[in-house]
Amino acid sequence: MAEIKNIIIVGGGTAGFMTAASLLNSYAKANIKITLVESSKIGTIGVGEATIPTIRAFYNELGISDAEIIARTGASAKLGIQFNGWKNKDSSFIHPFGGFGHDFNNVGFWHYLNAYSPEILDGGLDNLALGAALAKAGKFALPDPLKETTPIYARFDWALHIDAGLFAKTLKEYSLARGLNYIDAKIENIEINQDNGFIKSIILEDGKSIEADLFIDCSGFEALLIGKALGNEFESYDKYLLTNAAWAMPSKKIENPIALTKVTAHSAGWQWQIPLNHRTGNGHVFARDFMNDDEALKILEENLPTQKLDDARLIKFTPGRRKSWDKNCIAIGLSSGFLEPLESTAIALIQNGIERIKMFFPFNGIDEKIIHEHNRIAQKEFERVRDFIILHYKLNQRGDSEFWRYVAQMDIPDTLSEKIELYKKRGHFVRYSWEIFHHISWLAMYSGFGILPQNHEPLVENMGRENFKNALSHINSDVQNIVSRAPSHAQFINHCNNIAG
Amino acid sequence: MQNNEIKKIIIAGGGTAGWLAAALFSTHIPKERLEVILIESEEIGTIGVGESTIPPFLGLIRNLGINEQDFIQKCHASFKLGIKFDDWYKNGESYFHPFGQIGSNIGNTDFYNAWLFATQNGLDTPLQDFAPASVMARENRFMLPNRAQGSPITNAAFALHLDAKLVAKYLRNHAQTRGVKRVEGMIERVETHENGFVKSLITKRGEILDADFFVDCTGFRALLIGKTLDVDYISWADELLCDRAIAVQTENIGEPDAFTTSAAQDFGWRWQIPLQSRSGNGYVFASKFISDDEAIATLLSQIKGKPITDPMVVPFQSGMRKEIWAKNVLSLGLASGFIEPLESTAIHLVYRTLDFFFRYFPDKNCDEALARDFNRRIADDYIEIKDFIIAHYCLTMREDTEFWRWCKNQKIPQSLSEKIEVFKKSAALRETGPEELFRAPSWYSIFEGMGVRPARYNFLAAALDAKELIPFLNKISPELNDFVKTLPTLKQFIEKNCKA
Repeated sequence: MAEIKNIIIVGGGTAGFMTAASLLNSYAKANIKITLVESSKIGTIGVGEATIPTIRAFYNELGISDAEIIARTGASAKLGIQFNGWKNKDSSFIHPFGGFGHDFNNVGFWHYLNAYSPEILDGGLDNLALGAALAKAGKFALPDPLKETTPIYARFDWALHIDAGLFAKTLKEYSLARGLNYIDAKIENIEINQDNGFIKSIILEDGKSIEADLFIDCSGFEALLIGKALGNEFESYDKYLLTNAAWAMPSKKIENPIALTKVTAHSAGWQWQIPLNHRTGNGHVFARDFMNDDEALKILEENLPTQKLDDARLIKFTPGRRKSWDKNCIAIGLSSGFLEPLESTAIALIQNGIERIKMFFPFNGIDEKIIHEHNRIAQKEFERVRDFIILHYKLNQRGDSEFWRYVAQMDIPDTLSEKIELYKKRGHFVRYSWEIFHHISWLAMYSGFGILPQNHEPLVENMGRENFKNALSHINSDVQNIVSRAPSHAQFINHCNNIAG
Repeated sequence: MQNNEIKKIIIAGGGTAGWLAAALFSTHIPKERLEVILIESEEIGTIGVGESTIPPFLGLIRNLGINEQDFIQKCHASFKLGIKFDDWYKNGESYFHPFGQIGSNIGNTDFYNAWLFATQNGLDTPLQDFAPASVMARENRFMLPNRAQGSPITNAAFALHLDAKLVAKYLRNHAQTRGVKRVEGMIERVETHENGFVKSLITKRGEILDADFFVDCTGFRALLIGKTLDVDYISWADELLCDRAIAVQTENIGEPDAFTTSAAQDFGWRWQIPLQSRSGNGYVFASKFISDDEAIATLLSQIKGKPITDPMVVPFQSGMRKEIWAKNVLSLGLASGFIEPLESTAIHLVYRTLDFFFRYFPDKNCDEALARDFNRRIADDYIEIKDFIIAHYCLTMREDTEFWRWCKNQKIPQSLSEKIEVFKKSAALRETGPEELFRAPSWYSIFEGMGVRPARYNFLAAALDAKELIPFLNKISPELNDFVKTLPTLKQFIEKNCKA
């Protein structure tokens, strides 16, 4: 098998241009030609407007600063996600990007809370995580560089709310400046090499055929190469994840928004609210088996935070995935799988997919063993995120609609039930390989849904109630002090926009 | 709080595993809340050959609140920077497995891939010349890396060579001052509850010792986990051929090495572990090919100093318990499993098992789901170590004896063969679990030493520029070497800081 000298990326959008920019950056000194084909006549989905902190490493590696991205994509900062109405109708909690409280004597902080302050562990963790506390107060501060001495409650990270269209545009310009061969054309046909089933070339609308050694499928739900041309079937998760459509609708900007994505549960799904500098992204994700499209739209319109800017757009989807690398084609983004944006994982999954391309790049030709390994990891990572999303439904105690009653009692994957069972029994976090969400994220969920371990960790008594209560009040006052001194979120965004000019 | 808490634990068996357990239990939980009894018998000897450790051992010492210097002095310990492997790949060739890092990341590229890229573009400096522990070991010099912050050796790590009997004694003293009660006696009988849980141990003298929870440190006899609870032993005899060891102690000659030597033999391998006061030596071999007498003769012909003990024969069976924790019994040390000491993992596995056990600390009911997840995690560790050990054998080029021919052609576990394959093809290292023991530098060292090099550097290195990288690497390697030469020799370091 020959070396890979020619890569074609099919599809623009977030996935396509992230892939192009990253490969061009890493490849600057390797002799590989990268072509991207998209049709300006085909729209992009571009709903992935909320992110998790890994996105910052992505563009930093490209040599783009936070301030530059904030200025160019109308971004606001994000310290976590606020879940409203999930446990029950009146509940609200934050899943922050960071830890809670402080571990003592190698025993997890939550064990102490469970023994000595269960009322805090039951949904009241927000003030014990600096990131969450800042966000709630409408403030923002950059985290201290991570030092061993930084207490756990002060360790947090941050992400962005971005305009996905502007983000793709930024990366397109970046790629073009670094030699991307860009073709604006519709793809008419895919030609397969009959000897080995590999993709040989793509035929454009003008009849021109372009060949490559490796094809990256960023064609979105259509999965033009990995699905249609190569015939890889889609494995649906509809047994576990019931939502299958979303109404998306922009509204006017929110003045002085807090640095959180808001996700609010409705009777058959949930609504996102993502504050940008120039508008607000809104959407209602719902299960069509439990609610019709009109009703879903009505709920979204009634719950807009600001005046609407455009008509709503309906996006239909099926949660699930397919094999992400087959023969000489690797799928990135929606062509490889879809999970509802409840934990803002779309861009992170794209990013990890790109990292995997680099990790397993088939310099010397394509090899089944490498494909197998690549797909094994991709599948695990995806299923772990899936489990985390399912958790959000499974733990609800709303009971006020058929949808919520159904998901509270539905069957869930064993990998997930084992996790929940051990937390409930013992406050123990089961950990698997390739998890994007670590135990602190799971803790945020359990706490927010009021799930407390049934048994107390005996080792907490080495510290004792009084010592712990003292430590707790110290943490509380430290967090409040830092929050009171921090600038507002709006000040931070203005500052970034100013320095990026 | 609840009255279902475990209030009393009996540890059956002294030795390193038993006293380590006693020390950890008594350090973590005050005696008012947990009564810990250890029963051992002077009549039953301990194996006590596990004398070489890996870096997490220092964490254990700190965790126990033990003063490092005092411990080193009282256990006649010496420092270990890694393992030197002689004649494994080919007769006459050696390689080193260092502790700590090899170089540091170059931009976003991990050092190994940057080095590979440079090597494929003309660099001819060996990988280990960038590993501070390898260079220190080669020069037989030593310094605590944390006392040389910012220097080229900052990222080295080290472990200890120690006298297992003195360690057991030290830990026993530590545990007893924290309230662990020692009972001298032979266990004659074990009584169980109706649900199969262990109820009590009955000694030869007729004493009845009951507890809520039991720790089986009875060595290969596995009195509780094996004989009483009947938990199966999974044998790895078809993957690891060695099944016996001869151990002998010798006087030290010259300055002690700052590393363990593992020298391949015709039918196994020989260890040499220098302590401050003496050296431990042994021959691990496959009894299928040679007798004890032949093995003893081979060992005695190769040791350097005068023997100070009679050769001791230790038979073993590589493998592990199907469940390390079953009902109200946790097994530790040889009772839970055995992997030949090629990478000095024995004491570590005891510590690791206990460390995990504290994270899962049960109540009297010993919930099955809890034990299941615990066993899954510990089994991952065993499998990881087993794969790592097999990699030392199966990658050999030796074909000079039946033993090595077998190793060269042995059937490799799938998890390992995929790891090797993926590495060869893409320079990527396949993970074995969320908390791996042997990290990338260890695998890189073994692969490089055993002649496994990827066809091409990983794509992550494609952003590098050979014209900048090679001069940089040509600068830092001699800097490391020059710095190491300014350090005290191992002997000087020990005499100044922690002489026994």
